[in-house]
Amino acid sequence: MILAQLVFYLLAFVTVAAAVMVIAARNPVHSVLFLILAFFNSAGLFILLGAEFIGMLLVVVYVGAVAVLFLFVVMMLDINFVQLREGFLQYLPVGALVGLILLVELALVFGSIAMEPALGGAAVSATEAGVTNTEAIGRLLYTDYFYLFQAAGIILLVAMIGAMTLTMRHRPDARRQDIGRQVRRRPGETLEVRKVPPRTGI
Amino acid sequence: MLYVLLVFSPLLGAVIAGLFGRLIGDRASQLVTCGLMGVSALASIVALVGLGEEPFKVPLFTWMAVEGFIAEWSLRIDALSVVMMFVVSCISFLIHVYSIGYMAHDASIPRFFAYLSFFTFAMLMLVTSDNLLQLYFGWEGVGVASYLLIGFWYTRPSACAAAIKAFIVNRVGDFGLALGIAATWFVFDSIQYDVIFANTAKLADTELLVFGASFDTLTLIGILLFIGAMGKSAQLGLHTWLPDAMEGPTPVSALIHAATMVTAGVFLVARFSPLYEFAPTALALVTFIGASTALFAATVGLVQNDIKRVIAYSTCSQLGYMFAAAGVGAYAAGIFHLYTHAFFKALLFLGAGSVIHAMSDEQDMRKMGGLWRKLPITYAVMWIGSLALVGFPGTAGFFSKDAIIEAAWVSPNALSGYAFWLLLLAAVLTAFYSGRLMFLTFHGDSRASREVREHVHESPPVMTVPLLILAAGAVLAGWFGLVMIAPEGEFWGGAIFTAPINTVLEEIETVPAIVKYAPLGALILGLGLAWLFYVAVPGLPDRIVAALRPVHTFLTHKWYFDELYDALFVRPAVSLGRTLWRGFDLGVIDRFGPDGVATVTLASARRAIRLQTGYVYHYAFAMLIGLVVLLSWYLFILRG
Amino acid sequence: MNAAMIDLAPALPEVFLFVAGLVLLFLGVFRERDGLSVVNPLVVLALLVAVVLTIGADKGPVLAFDGHFVFDDFAAFLKVLIYVTAALGVMMAPAYLADARMGRFEFPLLALFATLGMGMMVSANSFLALYMGLELQSLSLYVMAAFQRDSTRASEAGLKYFVLGALASGMLLYGISLVYGFTGTLSFDLLARSFLVGEGAAALPAGAVVGLVFVIAGLAFKLSAVPFHMWTPDVYEGAPTPVTAFFAAAPKVAAMGLVLRLLFQPFGDWAGQWQQVIILVSVASMILGAFAAIGQTNIKRLMAYSAIGHVGYALVGIAAGGVAGVNAVLVYMAIYVVMTLGTFACILLMRRHGRYVEGIADLAGLSRHQPGMALILGILMFSLAGIPPAAGFFGKLYVFLAAVDAGLVWLALVGVLTSVVGAYYYLRIVKIMYFDEPAEAFDTMARPELQGIAAVAAVLVAGFLLLPGPLLSSAEAAARALLP
Repeated sequence: MILAQLVFYLLAFVTVAAAVMVIAARNPVHSVLFLILAFFNSAGLFILLGAEFIGMLLVVVYVGAVAVLFLFVVMMLDINFVQLREGFLQYLPVGALVGLILLVELALVFGSIAMEPALGGAAVSATEAGVTNTEAIGRLLYTDYFYLFQAAGIILLVAMIGAMTLTMRHRPDARRQDIGRQVRRRPGETLEVRKVPPRTGI
Repeated sequence: MLYVLLVFSPLLGAVIAGLFGRLIGDRASQLVTCGLMGVSALASIVALVGLGEEPFKVPLFTWMAVEGFIAEWSLRIDALSVVMMFVVSCISFLIHVYSIGYMAHDASIPRFFAYLSFFTFAMLMLVTSDNLLQLYFGWEGVGVASYLLIGFWYTRPSACAAAIKAFIVNRVGDFGLALGIAATWFVFDSIQYDVIFANTAKLADTELLVFGASFDTLTLIGILLFIGAMGKSAQLGLHTWLPDAMEGPTPVSALIHAATMVTAGVFLVARFSPLYEFAPTALALVTFIGASTALFAATVGLVQNDIKRVIAYSTCSQLGYMFAAAGVGAYAAGIFHLYTHAFFKALLFLGAGSVIHAMSDEQDMRKMGGLWRKLPITYAVMWIGSLALVGFPGTAGFFSKDAIIEAAWVSPNALSGYAFWLLLLAAVLTAFYSGRLMFLTFHGDSRASREVREHVHESPPVMTVPLLILAAGAVLAGWFGLVMIAPEGEFWGGAIFTAPINTVLEEIETVPAIVKYAPLGALILGLGLAWLFYVAVPGLPDRIVAALRPVHTFLTHKWYFDELYDALFVRPAVSLGRTLWRGFDLGVIDRFGPDGVATVTLASARRAIRLQTGYVYHYAFAMLIGLVVLLSWYLFILRG
Repeated sequence: MNAAMIDLAPALPEVFLFVAGLVLLFLGVFRERDGLSVVNPLVVLALLVAVVLTIGADKGPVLAFDGHFVFDDFAAFLKVLIYVTAALGVMMAPAYLADARMGRFEFPLLALFATLGMGMMVSANSFLALYMGLELQSLSLYVMAAFQRDSTRASEAGLKYFVLGALASGMLLYGISLVYGFTGTLSFDLLARSFLVGEGAAALPAGAVVGLVFVIAGLAFKLSAVPFHMWTPDVYEGAPTPVTAFFAAAPKVAAMGLVLRLLFQPFGDWAGQWQQVIILVSVASMILGAFAAIGQTNIKRLMAYSAIGHVGYALVGIAAGGVAGVNAVLVYMAIYVVMTLGTFACILLMRRHGRYVEGIADLAGLSRHQPGMALILGILMFSLAGIPPAAGFFGKLYVFLAAVDAGLVWLALVGVLTSVVGAYYYLRIVKIMYFDEPAEAFDTMARPELQGIAAVAAVLVAGFLLLPGPLLSSAEAAARALLP
């Protein structure tokens, strides 16, 4: 158990530290890299909890897709981040104050946990015995949370529609391949066989 | 039905002429209003002839009934109201007819006739009322109509001022009347006459606590009601509106002064005779005010030069007689005088109107003279009217006026002696100014300008016929009305109540000869002096005026009543209003009210708009801070 | 776990909308040229069918999808209101879109999906369902706000809305996680059942209330209540007018419905805990809405502040609580959307020389050129100001009466006072239309749908006094369903 606790504190510390660095780093590429570090450590925390599926998901989706996308964006867009951050410190005191108050308040109410009795207290295992993580999530997702699953699907659909609506443009001058037209084409439309008498030309 | 017709046909005429006057034209308006007025007059004659002993009610409908407070519309028909209706309707009808001629050249004839008819209706409503609220309705209706009629020529500033003055002075009196009604309701739990009159005897000598001071109940109510009567009947103190009311067209003056409006006060006191009989203090006040008014108005009448103003003050004076009569307990004599007075005063006014008409709207007697040749009919009827006014034996005034003076002699009232001597002196003065009026206007040489003199002409028959009818009335009304003051009091059938100890009317028969002939002596003295001053020795008045300059000035300024009121009430009120307007309204209310609020609002708006910077991170910060505020509010204020 | 357990009947209108959305998406894709003109009416039709399905459905109340979804009188009332409002909002759009050369078929589809999200919101019976519905609606609205992608103003509006909306969603999620963390459940039913006031019952943990405050903050953003309103004026002004019209009506109803259900069902017994927070937000909204609107020159921006103020008034009803309070809120929202749609229909008719104008000054002397439109707009302004006998007066009246009955006299007083201030800027528009020197006339356009909507709105608003019964009784039924 000691080992598990040690690993937890290590991972947790690195996560928080990396998160701070995401904000503090001057170079945006460094920020993204710290973000990836934070993701990896969070994934480790999940695995420590026995939720290996979510841990893997975090690595695959957030590290593999989201963070890399961030990297591309940061690298491809020519934005002077230093300039953007000017005046940032000016708001630091206010921000710090707001954060501090929020922290104090949350600390105040920390001890008031009262679990819903129907759930039978705090000791809930993530999975039933003998069921893999993936299977357990699958069972829940397609039964109890079917409605939410579908709703999430619609949200993604809307996101796709939105992304296309906002970005896709028709470029009349761009050349596109129209396979149907290519296939439909008959030789007669393009080819003309002529008899060309010698030494006359067309 | 007869009575409903009597009361409401003038209203119908007023509505038709008022709303559709433009549509149906001048001629039709005149016909409709005069016709309906004629119906009313006819009905009143029928009512008078068929007058039975027993009073009864004609219920119309219930006005309101709230928690024991019941006000009904119904017509109270008894001798008193029938006499009043007869006077009002007949005189009003004659004035309507006369007006056709007098107002022939006016631009808004339908309006005039609508007002006249409405005025008559309101007066009829007043006299037939069966409860105090209905009386108040008629009372105020008369007030409004008089305002409209006095200000009929509203393009003249003086007419508007006179109308406003009449209205405001009347309001002062009305305030007393309203208080009186409230007190009645408080004391009797009812405003129905029957209930009130049935209970007055029980309440005699009881006390009423008002603002810590206790008053005799009936005296208090009597005085409050009398204040209302003073306003309407232009008694000393609240009389100032009446002479100014001459700004209205002459038929209006005749209507207001002869038959309606001013008599409302006398009617009120007579109607409440069951109450006044138990309130001797209130009666003493009535006597005092009445007698004083009679003399005061007569003295002012001596020095007026406007022919209408002389008659106006004469009215004021005669009303004093009526109140004095009521005050000494001879209500019947008061009403009798009211009835005779209506005829000869309407006659005098309309005659004066005829003169004015003939003189191209000249009203100053000093610019008349020698008119008797040109206006024979007017001249004759004016003499009849004047003789009736001064109480020449055989004329209407003779009976009623003598009865009042004799009643003052015999009455046990504390102030009856005072009343007797004042009324007698007033009789002398009345004779004098009447003679002065006649001599200045009709006798001597003409003092008018040449062109006016050439245009002088007798009035058309539509004007002279009513004059002749009224002249007949002025002579005969007294003979017919004698029954009113018969000591047995059978005529009234209980409409006028006199306490058993009140035997004024019986005792009149027994006055000494010297008292009986005193009014005649006064008449001869007054007329003789007038003849001496204005016919025999024409220079005499100027010399006397020169000798008695202060007295003359005092009289021409009408005892300085207007000046006194101006200094006491009008100016302070105006300056108070000005102070409040400048200092309080503009300085405080506007500054901290509308203007201040507007300024603060705009400043707040500007501040609120400045919050909206357009920067996303400002917005985000605002949201976060808002969240923290809400959380802190919850955690530290609600739970902490 | 057999398939029969999934009963779709309670969610039939939403399922229908979803399927219709997919079908119309395909249709739009294949009708490239005239996509908008085909899809738009069909979306309107679909929404109207959803209205019919909603009215016809069994209003049990019934639960579906393992208790995540609930359908009752309350949901039915709001859904009918939302679907009708959304249908009208979609109906108003195509002409403007075509004029602004952004007549693409995605617009009505996004509106359809947003409406679907709203339907899910008012039927949500757990925090998760709440969040899903809210996000579906929000995401669609973000895109709609930025729909005019060639305009920097519209893009800025869309971006601002998106960024701040994400922040609000963050608050909401954080609040939900707090509630979950402190109570162990996300289900509204369980929350309502487990934490009762009284002997022996578990007290609601303070942390859950903190979470609730976070959730309220997130929802207040959607309602554009102060201090989470900052996006409203910029987005209302920047977004294309039909989008603003759409924003101003249906989403407000949905968010209000969500707040009502959340506060009165799972946390209904804990009114004392959240009432003060609502009052604070309400007072701030009423005051800001009244004051900041003064001095605005753009009518869309003015309507934004108007919306802020009106949300403040509606929140008064929530603070009052009880059937009377909920009833008042529902009636208020119904009247509000009618007034808003009518006003925006009028704004969409403001076109001069082929360009749409939005200045208040452009309305000067409208009564001279277009007396009918001036009359309609005047009636709507009177109603927005809450002047009797227009419907807006009664909306305010019910809300304030509920507050007074609940002992919140001072809150009602604040409402009345801010109404007086607010009346100033509404009546200023009337004054400008009727008494100012006429500006140039607007283009005469044959837009029967806009003119019809404006006229019907004006008639409804002016005639509410004559026939208030149907609205009042259905709102009453809805309120009773929420508070058994």
